[in-house]
Amino acid sequence: MNEAKQATKTWLRRQTALARRSAAPVAFMGLLGITLAIGQTACAAAALESALVRRAARLDVLLTFSALACLRAGLAILADRAAVTAGSASRRRLRDEVMRALLAAGPSLLHRRHSAELASICIDRVEALDGFFARWVPASLLAVSGPALIAVAVLVADPLASLALVASGLLVPMAMALAGVGAGLASRRQFAALTRLQARFLDRVRGISTIVLAGRAEDEARALAAASAELRVRTMRVLRIAFLSSTALDCAMAVALVGLALHYGHALLDGRMTRPGRALFVLLLVPEFFAPLRSFAAAYQDRLHAEGAAEALVGLPAGAIAEALPALPVRTVEARGVTVGFENVRLTWDAARGPALDGLSFRAPAGETLVIAGPSGAGKSTVLEILLGFVRPDEGRVTLNGADIVTIVPQALMRMTAWIGQRPVLFAGTLRENIRFACPEATDEDIEQATRAARLDGFAAALPNGLDTMVGEGGYGLSGGQAQRVAIARAFLKNAPLLLLDEPTAHLDPATEAEVLDSLRRLALGRTVILASHSAAAHDFGGRRIDLRAGRLAAADRAA
Amino acid sequence: MKPLLRILFLWRQRAFSLALGVIVSLAAVGCGVALLTQSGALIAGALLSGTMAASWLLRLLGVGRVVLRYFERLATHAATFRALADLRVWFFRGLAGRAAGGLGFRRAGDMLSRLVNDVEALDGLYLRMMVPLAAALLLLTTLVVLIGWRDPALAVLEGVLFAASSLLLPGIAFRAATGDGARLTAAAAKLRVAALDALTGLREVRAFGAEGRMLATVQARQAALLAAQHEVARRSAWASAGSFLCAQAAILAVLIAASAEPSRGVIALFLTIAAFEAVAGLPRAGVLASHAAAAARRVLEAAAGAHPEADPPRPVPLPQATGLRFEAVRFTWQPDRPAVFDGLTLEVPQGARVAILGPSGAGKSTLAALALKVALPQSGRVLLGGADLATLAAADVRSRIAWLSQATHLFDDTIRANLRLARPDADDAALWAALQAAQLAEFVGTLPDGLDTWVGEAGARFSGGQGRRLALARTLLSPAPVLILDEPCAGLDALTERAFFATLNDAAEGRTILLIAHRLTGVERLDRIWRLSGGRAVAAAA
Repeated sequence: MNEAKQATKTWLRRQTALARRSAAPVAFMGLLGITLAIGQTACAAAALESALVRRAARLDVLLTFSALACLRAGLAILADRAAVTAGSASRRRLRDEVMRALLAAGPSLLHRRHSAELASICIDRVEALDGFFARWVPASLLAVSGPALIAVAVLVADPLASLALVASGLLVPMAMALAGVGAGLASRRQFAALTRLQARFLDRVRGISTIVLAGRAEDEARALAAASAELRVRTMRVLRIAFLSSTALDCAMAVALVGLALHYGHALLDGRMTRPGRALFVLLLVPEFFAPLRSFAAAYQDRLHAEGAAEALVGLPAGAIAEALPALPVRTVEARGVTVGFENVRLTWDAARGPALDGLSFRAPAGETLVIAGPSGAGKSTVLEILLGFVRPDEGRVTLNGADIVTIVPQALMRMTAWIGQRPVLFAGTLRENIRFACPEATDEDIEQATRAARLDGFAAALPNGLDTMVGEGGYGLSGGQAQRVAIARAFLKNAPLLLLDEPTAHLDPATEAEVLDSLRRLALGRTVILASHSAAAHDFGGRRIDLRAGRLAAADRAA
Repeated sequence: MKPLLRILFLWRQRAFSLALGVIVSLAAVGCGVALLTQSGALIAGALLSGTMAASWLLRLLGVGRVVLRYFERLATHAATFRALADLRVWFFRGLAGRAAGGLGFRRAGDMLSRLVNDVEALDGLYLRMMVPLAAALLLLTTLVVLIGWRDPALAVLEGVLFAASSLLLPGIAFRAATGDGARLTAAAAKLRVAALDALTGLREVRAFGAEGRMLATVQARQAALLAAQHEVARRSAWASAGSFLCAQAAILAVLIAASAEPSRGVIALFLTIAAFEAVAGLPRAGVLASHAAAAARRVLEAAAGAHPEADPPRPVPLPQATGLRFEAVRFTWQPDRPAVFDGLTLEVPQGARVAILGPSGAGKSTLAALALKVALPQSGRVLLGGADLATLAAADVRSRIAWLSQATHLFDDTIRANLRLARPDADDAALWAALQAAQLAEFVGTLPDGLDTWVGEAGARFSGGQGRRLALARTLLSPAPVLILDEPCAGLDALTERAFFATLNDAAEGRTILLIAHRLTGVERLDRIWRLSGGRAVAAAA
């Protein structure tokens, strides 16, 4: 057995142990409910016997029956609530764990996986586990004790019938085990189909304008239909397994019911049996005997989903993030200046495409600007991603004021750096909220100051709601230059000593580029700046310049 | 209720399989009730009349119930999932028809939640509502007729209790839970949006140390979702308990009546138990139906809502000519913002190469949007080949014009698939030619997987400049006779830019080109230059 499988098993075992604790009250109430049901059935049988034999109603029995019914109804409500609570508590805990793990793993995840896929783990995987906690675990606790309780009650009335019930009941788990061969695989495939559908749809919806304007909406609809059809087929495969185990149960119950009915019919006819109440008692209990097994069989697919979910969750990078990001006294440098050093750094994203950085060394002294030039794909962005702590170098050392970047706690690193990328991610919300993202405790005055410094104030003033104007997801309503200014305002607000600029003007026209660079120049004052760009205008930004070619230094030290 | 009926109407193509599911289900329920009733009859007969009912019937019912139940589950679920798959595709078509200009203020995650969660919530509409309701009607009749044969008073009582349990309680539950359903769907969507925000923006989140805040948002949204689910579960539990008590009351009534006629009493008892058992899920389904109704409303709202740029009822056939002409166009995106164009008149003759220059915010992208009928001018006309765009079908217009916009999206797919979006039948030679023209062929040639290289989410595996050139190659590949290139060289270095313009002159031979730029490099071969300013176009020297 390989390691991943072992880890999945361990995870499931741990979760089951946790779930048993919260499911114990549910199972207990279930047992209590079954006891009450036995009592009710006894009442019903006694009432009928009295009617059959003496043609008289028994008031005491009927009153007991009613009282037990009310108790059962109340108990069912309580059990329901307990199951829901158990399910939601577990989901809350797990979603927390997943989200923490994803946030801790950070941006390097996006190199390999689509954000919709990651979100689906956090949302749908965890949601699918509800059945495991709220249904499967209680049902599996009750699947043996519930029928056993009824078998004991039947034993008192008719030992032979009890034996028959137990024998037919034992068929159920055997048939389920047979039906469940390959079920885990089917469930995994179903979820993979769902994830593919989601990632595809999200991706297409984000670019829906591109699709519609290219006249390809119909083709995409067809592709979506194919993805949907695949999901349907996969879902039906999982359900067929669940149906088979339910059918096994139906079968066992039908055998028991028909067999017992015929047995009692003959016994009563022959006069071997004198108490018809007993026969009725046993027959009426047959559905009750199979009810816990029915829940068990119905919840079987919840267990399958849990197995698949376990694999996805175990596969997540381990680690958790600190709660409130406390202000740690860490190896950091006072805002005055950060000196950056790269010593023989190597990093490979994808072995097939060769190293992104291949033995790169350079130094950027505190308070100075370093322009990294080079064609697209030369490794400029990778340099910045290392400095941001998104990835670690495979080899070599990256230092900030002499401290190896690997030894600096992430929060400290985050405090030291401000970053402006090629295309800032803007969230749906107001302009103000988007700027405040850089520093939640900033006052409105701080924000207005940052807005002015980023030269966003003129644009904002022309808007009907000023800084409270809504921006759509991905910066809808803003031009590329305006979106970049929001990013600059964020950087001003953050006020970090090391400024990392990743082709900040790549999507801008020359006029806007000049304006944005002007704002950046003001932002750069008194900070260490590393600017990656191949734009000629950006190269006039000032400072020293190095040229990268295929992850290596091509030319250096051209003083500005 | 109305949104649910509209969804049912959308499923009319699946009417046959849905009806088949109901029929099989009715047969299965009938068999199950008959099985239990027959068991009771057997005992009663043996005891009171000394005869035994046909045992083969009992065995047949047993086998029938097992087999029919299996096929019922299969048939109803298969029909449901087919209907849901149809609905997803219908949803995408509707959304696409309304989103030529992009999602705007709508959230992609919210749309995803509608496609996944809300469509899924509709599975209960058929499986848990319609199918059991059909069974309830059948059983109500059976119950009343079989018991009413000898004991009309008991039959009325049983009928009332059965109707209360299977019709009245679900109805009450549906009404009571209306608000819960809406809250539940909204909370699920908000949770997904929060998770997607945090995960799509992982870079920003890490750079600004926003992990704690993002986690807190997800936790708060999750708490709201759990609270809504609790509320729904609470109502379901009460509704189920109500239905259970109805069933118990019915059993009690039978037990009381049994002393008068014990033989029929036994049969009636088994019948009652089986009948109520078959519809025990309906009150819970009533609560779920309110969830389904809210989900249906959200699905319909996004895919069948108002359509601002709907095609004219009888569009004019597309003219052969491809000259573009703007006549006294006035346009504003939002009524409360100043007009982008006011009296814009300009012409792009067929086959001409025209540049439109102007500073940021002069409306260069808006011009392209108007030419592609993404938006219609408030006054004035836009003509393609002499025909007013307002009289043409949008899809026809877009088949003539390819647009490289600032927001052109790269899909999480291969280079080949991304390029073929513009021309599905393009062969590899054509793809390489387009890459060559966009100055990207050399780079793609160095990739081990070549055209089959995966591009990543929004082109994440490529640098900004490479992604931009891939989008440019896609536009050049398009067979459309008119190309609108909005800053095709943004993010390119000067050398590459010059090389591109040099090849553009050959690559787009015979096509109409509308080049949108801030300035010219001098390499472009142009027939006419327009300068945008103050919402109008002014001819400049070519």
